[in-house]
Amino acid sequence: MEWLNRLMSLDRRWIFLFIAIGTALPIIFPIGFGVTTTPPVQSLYDRIEAMDSTSVVLMSYDFGPSTSPENNPMADAVLRHCFAKGVRVIIVALFPIGGVIMADQSLDRVLPDFPDLEYGVDWIHLGYKSGGQASMKQIGEDLHNVFPVDHRTNTPLSEIPLTQEVHAYRDMELVVSVATGIIGEWWANLVNAQFGIPVAVGCTAVSAPKYYAYLLSGQMVGLLGGLKGASEYEQLLMDGYPWMAEVYGRTGLYTAIKGMDAQTIDHSIILVFILIGNIAFFGTRSRRKQG
Amino acid sequence: MQFLRLTIPLLLTAVAGLIPIIAFMWSTETRWIHATKDRLEVYMVIIAAFALLLGVVNVIQSNVKKIERRQKGWQYGAFLLAGLISMGAVGILSAARIGPFQGIGFLDDGTRTPFQYMAEYIFNPLQAAMFALLAFFMASAAFRAFRARNFEATILLVAAGIVMIGRIPLGETLLGGSPLLGEFTEWLMTWPNGAAQRGIMIGAALGAASLSLRVIVGIERSFLGIERNE
Repeated sequence: MEWLNRLMSLDRRWIFLFIAIGTALPIIFPIGFGVTTTPPVQSLYDRIEAMDSTSVVLMSYDFGPSTSPENNPMADAVLRHCFAKGVRVIIVALFPIGGVIMADQSLDRVLPDFPDLEYGVDWIHLGYKSGGQASMKQIGEDLHNVFPVDHRTNTPLSEIPLTQEVHAYRDMELVVSVATGIIGEWWANLVNAQFGIPVAVGCTAVSAPKYYAYLLSGQMVGLLGGLKGASEYEQLLMDGYPWMAEVYGRTGLYTAIKGMDAQTIDHSIILVFILIGNIAFFGTRSRRKQG
Repeated sequence: MQFLRLTIPLLLTAVAGLIPIIAFMWSTETRWIHATKDRLEVYMVIIAAFALLLGVVNVIQSNVKKIERRQKGWQYGAFLLAGLISMGAVGILSAARIGPFQGIGFLDDGTRTPFQYMAEYIFNPLQAAMFALLAFFMASAAFRAFRARNFEATILLVAAGIVMIGRIPLGETLLGGSPLLGEFTEWLMTWPNGAAQRGIMIGAALGAASLSLRVIVGIERSFLGIERNE
């Protein structure tokens, strides 16, 4: 039948058009679908929730602008949680293509809601270091050796109150890597395995499946998989800290919960097209058999 | 010549490869071996920085050749080189704090340096736009390739469909608010997917370990740019 053949050879620009509309409309007019929490996200939330102002978390910005729509909301959410809980944060960036900029922008979005925090006491930004695995291993030996000065003020770490207390992983409670590519895996299979510090990773949805193996083996204590994981964390934050609802409800602030609207519509469009493709495929195949 | 070209590099590789392995298994009381390992790791960070430079040189070489020979798409190569040189030059001048290029982040008054401006308003949007295009190509590829042609493809199709619905609120809506589909998706991701990922990782790790061993003992020499029999 003619219509089946036309479906089989559907111009891909129609698909592009539907995806463009399905992405743009929910961003312009948010729908507000509900969010349910999964165990890997809850696990990270609970771990940070159990910490106090004596705890130190190392946050590594291991992603660049290419995956920022997925990674930014999770980095912001974890950072907000640490600051809200009074947990001290050491920020590093091991991703060469924009990791430091991502960290700077994340701090710009989060810090205005925490005006009482003091740089060098409650948090510190150490900047980028090349070397990936080698740098990770070296932090286990001596953080001050890997980052002799901080990123913001170029002050030696030995003169900054927070880093006077922190010299290696043994002085920290948790590593959270918000990552694209393989860097998140290194934190689990190298840093956790060799130094024993708990590791959690926030990653893009496309790389989330591989991290389940590390969750199963206990090498990771939490996982934020893609926009869905980030939206779950935002929801947990709003449930645990009701004042955050105002933060996440701000007009113009891109959040994972808002992004999930677009993702929901796009997944639905893709599923419909897969269904159409299969109907056309089976239709033409049965026609061929009959003919 | 053979000594300089082959023996020395192979010896260096063997020593550099063996020290971290020995240190990992040796008592921490044997300080010299751990100190040597730490020193090697510092060298690795330095060498990795040079690897970035090597990447830049490689990009320049390949694109200059492309432009010289007027190969297909040479205009993109020219555009890439213009971006590389302008961003690189501003970066170097900013790091050296020459003229108006005072640093690579923000100035003391909170305004952006030229490098920060370029990174935020040129580099970031371009990178994000490149990745955003994937959504369109993935949707088109899913339409053309995700067909239940045989049993294996059908299993893949069904599993992908469940995960795609289960990872969005649509799954709950379809089941009248029941989290069943989401929980089943999490089960799929944790157990069947986790088990398969473990198998793949263990296989890859064994492969990497055997390749490392071949490099350390000098069987694998292709990284030196020479064949085994040379």
